[in-house]
Amino acid sequence: MADIDSRVATELRGLLAGQRPLLRMALLAALAAAGLFILQSWWLAGLFSDALRAWQAGEPLQPRPIAGILLGLALCLLLRPLLQYLREICSDRASQRARAGLRGRVLDSLAQLGPSRRRLGADGQLASRALEQVDALDGYLARYQVQTRLVLMVPLMLLVATAWHSWLAAALLLLTAPLVPLFMVLLGRAAATASQRQLNTLGRMSGRFLDLLRGLPTLRHLQALELAEQAVDGAAEEYRQRTMQVLRMAFLSTAVLEFFAALAIALVAVYLGLGLLGLLPWARGEIPVPYQGALFILLLAPEFYAPLRQLGNDYHARAEAQGAMKELLPLLQCEVWHHTGSRPLLLEGAPALELQQVSAAGGQGRLRLAPLDLNLAPGQRVLIQGPSGSGKSTLLELLLGFVPYQGSLKVNGRELAELERSAWQARVGYLAQQPQLLAASVADNLRLAVPGATDRQLWGVLGEVGLAPLLRRLPLGLETPLGERGLGLSGGQQSRLALARLLLRDTPLWLLDEPLAHLDPDTAEQIGVLIDRLSQGRTLLLVSHERTGLDWLTQVLEVARPVEAAA
Amino acid sequence: MTEGQLRLRLSRLLHSRAAGWLLALLLGALALFSAIALLALSGWFITAAALAGMATGYMLDVFRPAAIIRLLALTRTLGRYGERLASHQAALGLLRDLRSAVFRRISHARQLPRRSNEAMHRLVADIDLLDQFPLRVLLPWIWASLMALLLLGFLALLDSRLLLAAAPGVCLAWVLPWLGYWRGGRLARADVEWAEARRSFLLDSLRLLTPLLIWQRWPGRAAAFTAQDQQYLAQQDRQQRLISRLTLLQQWALAASLLMVLWQGSLLIEDGLTVPLLLAAALALLGLNEALLPVAGSFVALGLSQAARDRLQALGRADQPTPEHDRPVPQAPFTLHLQQLSLRWPGALSGPSDLDLQLYSGQTLLVIGPSGGGKSTLLHWLAGEPIQRQGRALLNGHPPDHWDLAGVIGWLPQDVDIFDMPLADNLRLGNPAASDAQLWRVLEDVALADWARERGLDTPLGEQGSAVSGGQARRIALARLLLAERPILLLDEPFAGLDAATREQVMQALLRRQRDGLLIIASHQPVSAPDLQVVRVGG
Repeated sequence: MADIDSRVATELRGLLAGQRPLLRMALLAALAAAGLFILQSWWLAGLFSDALRAWQAGEPLQPRPIAGILLGLALCLLLRPLLQYLREICSDRASQRARAGLRGRVLDSLAQLGPSRRRLGADGQLASRALEQVDALDGYLARYQVQTRLVLMVPLMLLVATAWHSWLAAALLLLTAPLVPLFMVLLGRAAATASQRQLNTLGRMSGRFLDLLRGLPTLRHLQALELAEQAVDGAAEEYRQRTMQVLRMAFLSTAVLEFFAALAIALVAVYLGLGLLGLLPWARGEIPVPYQGALFILLLAPEFYAPLRQLGNDYHARAEAQGAMKELLPLLQCEVWHHTGSRPLLLEGAPALELQQVSAAGGQGRLRLAPLDLNLAPGQRVLIQGPSGSGKSTLLELLLGFVPYQGSLKVNGRELAELERSAWQARVGYLAQQPQLLAASVADNLRLAVPGATDRQLWGVLGEVGLAPLLRRLPLGLETPLGERGLGLSGGQQSRLALARLLLRDTPLWLLDEPLAHLDPDTAEQIGVLIDRLSQGRTLLLVSHERTGLDWLTQVLEVARPVEAAA
Repeated sequence: MTEGQLRLRLSRLLHSRAAGWLLALLLGALALFSAIALLALSGWFITAAALAGMATGYMLDVFRPAAIIRLLALTRTLGRYGERLASHQAALGLLRDLRSAVFRRISHARQLPRRSNEAMHRLVADIDLLDQFPLRVLLPWIWASLMALLLLGFLALLDSRLLLAAAPGVCLAWVLPWLGYWRGGRLARADVEWAEARRSFLLDSLRLLTPLLIWQRWPGRAAAFTAQDQQYLAQQDRQQRLISRLTLLQQWALAASLLMVLWQGSLLIEDGLTVPLLLAAALALLGLNEALLPVAGSFVALGLSQAARDRLQALGRADQPTPEHDRPVPQAPFTLHLQQLSLRWPGALSGPSDLDLQLYSGQTLLVIGPSGGGKSTLLHWLAGEPIQRQGRALLNGHPPDHWDLAGVIGWLPQDVDIFDMPLADNLRLGNPAASDAQLWRVLEDVALADWARERGLDTPLGEQGSAVSGGQARRIALARLLLAERPILLLDEPFAGLDAATREQVMQALLRRQRDGLLIIASHQPVSAPDLQVVRVGG
């Protein structure tokens, strides 16, 4: 736990360190504004002191000095808001840059994880981490750090100005000041946990909503809408309660701070007031602080606590940031396996694969893939069969470099784990079980894989998978839009489109996961023949339950279901 | 707010928790008044004390002002605390109700949302924006106006010339935020759009992460996302700058007002205005900042609320609640007659044509044909999707729309939905009252019992069934459908990804369960059944 906290703190410090110049500028602007405030208060006190004296003496006020003071005041009142404006600009910019950088890192991590990201959460949750939780750092980045400096410097400036006129008033302020951070720390601790829980709840609520919305047709058909509505109500209510918990904590800490500030100011005011009346028990008949100084101190006193109060609010931003960072940590410091190989790979033609006792571990001592031997000469093609859950898909993900493995897996005699992953993947063609299509046009979906492909090339591959005649009949042709999850195409057509995309990339190794599962026997036969023709000269691993259309695959590898590892 | 027809109007949002909002309004006004009065009274007090100290014979009641000061300090702190609790309690309750109501509306709308990401974003983020209207627009404006009026009233009480000196600046500070009305609204509307675009783009990218990585296209996709993110951040920056500038102008207007009051006041002192009261007026004017500055951002907040409201409104608009005629429920035995039936998806070029068949209870219909030939179209139509039809179709002697088929037809589509819940909960969507024994029986029927015994009924299935294989997901969906005990079953490729032995086992269970009903299967795989009809669709 302490370890996590320190890692969170390190990450947050790192973010701030990158934006030092802007934050320093913001600090300077705020300090200058505080200086102007002291000047403004002094002049205001002077003005009223003059007025009081003149009124007391029954003389008219001298317009010249008054005009001078008013001019000074005007200058202060003009410049102070301007400096605050400057501070905001600097802080916001710093926060934006830091957040953009962090989001970039989150995306990089996701790219490292590949299919293994599932272990860190559903896509909806991961997206909300990359978006909302990174943005949740805004308050901390933009305000907190500068405020932690101000909270020391500004009260110090005010304290010096106060002590100039009254040691006792300064001492009173000084005595109450430490109470404020004390309470803040106490409440802040609780707030950090609460706000992390709230963020978790938000992620869960989003995930639950997305899940139910996607499945609405099914829910409706099963007449299970009421259950879904209850689930929504439950998630919304949980989120409400968690949010209220966090807010209650925040409001309470602010209220406590304000209470202390009010108490201290009241004490100072009573001391000054009684002093002016000459009623102080230890100094009867004396006036320890004359009017101008007394009014000056009274004007300064609220501002003495203002930075602390602001920090109280921003402390909350810190708690929020810590909560968010805790969520981001697993993504930033990928504790999961990560492919470290760096040797470049030169693949001229189809590679040879040599697997010896290759296995993959799942969670909790389970095996996702039982130890397996396989030797493939360049251009050799193999059908992989086995019961559901035997790890056939895992084998393909493993070959892609996304899954850690035990045993030895050599590509042209080189260990896969030592190869540079992106160079390796550039030479691999992969087809997942679910056709992975975007809600975009057919052409866009194809060009996703090969951005520079010409229309001619697209028509070429579409022709080879048997989609060209259909698309030529459609008014929009290549620009025909697909819906979410390939809506508008039948299952078979989706598979063909995915196959077309594979052909477009033209790689020497193909890993195909159930490419024919959705096709009818006739078409499966045709596509099978097509795969046969197109995969000539490539090394091919093809996972399939059926042999239909795949008679040409002479080598068959049976993958057994992994036996439970002994506890 | 009734189901199906939910009209959102921002002003209406306050109705459901009127007492809570009213309490927040009163407490907030009290807190602000206390803060301003505290400043003014302390200034007055210290000046009066100085006067009394200078002149013997000038008597000052020390205790009453001191007591009032203490009271104001207390009401300021407690008032603000209470206001925040009350307003946020009301706001969060409102958001929860809205989420429930909007989800109900979406789920009952005739047209389901085409992109579930967007709908999710609306349920989460857009609804969160609706509380901006009361919290950042309505309450702050009431407080600001009230405090400005009280202050001007106080000045008028002192001297009308003081009022005249202060009024232009105060009024200007009150009017200035309105400059942000158009631009703030426009920026806010764009903001919601950018946020939604950014999220959809990221979700799509994540869904395709693995292939994009392999294609070496992820860096490009990530760069495109970063560009979108930058645009969103720049957009937020523009909003922030607008608010900051308006605040700056407001502060200057109030500063001008203060200077005018001081100047005018210094002239009036000879006319009988006392110095303590002048200081009180000046300090109250300084205190007015606290009430007036928060409204600078109100129009951006209003725009955000309005934009969010419009998007929520557009979800499932033009939707009347589905007309509920009292249609009869068909009873077994069932007969299905199709004569010269042709079906077309709206806008489709081809589809199943000239189908003829007669199917009776206990019989099995196997629909075969090439991919894209229309097998699924036939099942979609039987399941009640809006598909154009020609020819005759009779169920138990009447056209299908004569009957209430909602609880009669069970449909397993090609893409099944598995929910991010435990296995048992997924299954019980079919029948909430099913006992564990029933669950095991149906798992046995779809040949998943061994697997389920290993994992337990509580095993989580992951988002979209990511924790199970594609074949397992289909069978879980089938089991769920069997639990619903629908007499007419339409199964689209129920055996995809199953080996021959398992297929046979599942088929036997289906036949046993549908002994008195209809079983219609579209499949590429051969199926054996005692009373089997085969119809070929397309090609």
